[in-house]
Amino acid sequence: MHWVRFSVFVLAVIVMQSGLVDVIALASVRLDLLLISLVFFAVHYNTTEAIIASFAIGFGADLIGSAMGPHIISYGLFGTSLAYLHRIIAVRRMPYQAIVIAAVGIFAGLLIIFLTYLKGIQNPPNVYAVLLGSSLYSAAVGPFLFLPFAWLMRIRIH
Amino acid sequence: MLGGFIFLLAPQSWTNKFQFAFARIFSWPLNISRSLSLSARAKQLPMDVISRIEYDRLQNHLSNVVQELNEAHQKIKAIGGLRERFPAMEGAKFVIADVITDAVSGLRSELIINRGSDDGLAKGQFVLGDNSVIGTISSISSRTAQVKLITDPTSNIAVNVPGLDVSRLMRGGGGEIAKIQMLSISHKVKTGENVYACKKPGFLDTPIVVGKIDKCSRDDENPSLWNVAVRPACDITKLNNVVVIIMNPQQQ
Repeated sequence: MHWVRFSVFVLAVIVMQSGLVDVIALASVRLDLLLISLVFFAVHYNTTEAIIASFAIGFGADLIGSAMGPHIISYGLFGTSLAYLHRIIAVRRMPYQAIVIAAVGIFAGLLIIFLTYLKGIQNPPNVYAVLLGSSLYSAAVGPFLFLPFAWLMRIRIH
Repeated sequence: MLGGFIFLLAPQSWTNKFQFAFARIFSWPLNISRSLSLSARAKQLPMDVISRIEYDRLQNHLSNVVQELNEAHQKIKAIGGLRERFPAMEGAKFVIADVITDAVSGLRSELIINRGSDDGLAKGQFVLGDNSVIGTISSISSRTAQVKLITDPTSNIAVNVPGLDVSRLMRGGGGEIAKIQMLSISHKVKTGENVYACKKPGFLDTPIVVGKIDKCSRDDENPSLWNVAVRPACDITKLNNVVVIIMNPQQQ
């Protein structure tokens, strides 16, 4: 992986996530570009690169999140699991990619909620509804973003 | 992973420095992202009317003046005819801050502003946008601060509705509304009525408008209570700068 390109890519995604995604938000449900990036790197790069990318994306998500720590752990853990799983099962077709994004979004989100609670920060009452909506929205849009992501990272995905 | 646990277990005030540093370093692209987001949401206005922002600002100013006037009248009545001017914000300091970035979604409603403890800001201080209360300072660094908006689901501020003459807690409802809790149905609630932030010694010496009652329906869980939705008095997502009230500024 070209790490400078990766850094610029992640920074751009963080900046877009902190503002631009509001334009295409459905009610209070926002597209999670960082989650989509996490799955993209986990299923298109080798295990070591995917693990480093997962932690880096988690750190980026924490920088614009409500607390530092929960995203690094959660994204790192699920990115690593997905990278190892990808050695056994290749996630190539769009419907499977959508399912993976939704599953990672929901489970990583639940862990983030739990870790945020552990840190002593109150979670809002509608957190589960927003998590589910955001994961499904990201799952629906995510596979279509893999093509521009691959072009930006200069890799072939087919 | 170890780094993640260090961040998780470290005090919030320490880890917030990373978030503030990021917001400061990347304030330029974050501002551009926010501006693009705002301009995409902005609607075309006819030429013969003033902008919504200007209208909200003037309307809120009017609401504050009316409330100030009402309180002054009540005092005059109570004290027995003494002419006493409402001592609104005398001696308070107002710090104008630019919005670096905002996060207004169902989960969080926060702003990061470019003023911090170096400018005299402290946790709990009230923040105004277009002459109305939009939130309070929730965390702070030397040059930046985080504002928890009234619509944040974890926000709780005491408010009153002049017509009802009762104070209740208002909690953020996520998105663009807040909710007044524990209001009995024996009170007659009118939609469109102004809601004011209550006085809080050391932080707010006069009631200031927060929003208007947008909707009122019976609570599903407890039918003897109202479920009152309050819409902020200004469009928070379109604010470019805010004002922080420092009630007891330190003499320099």
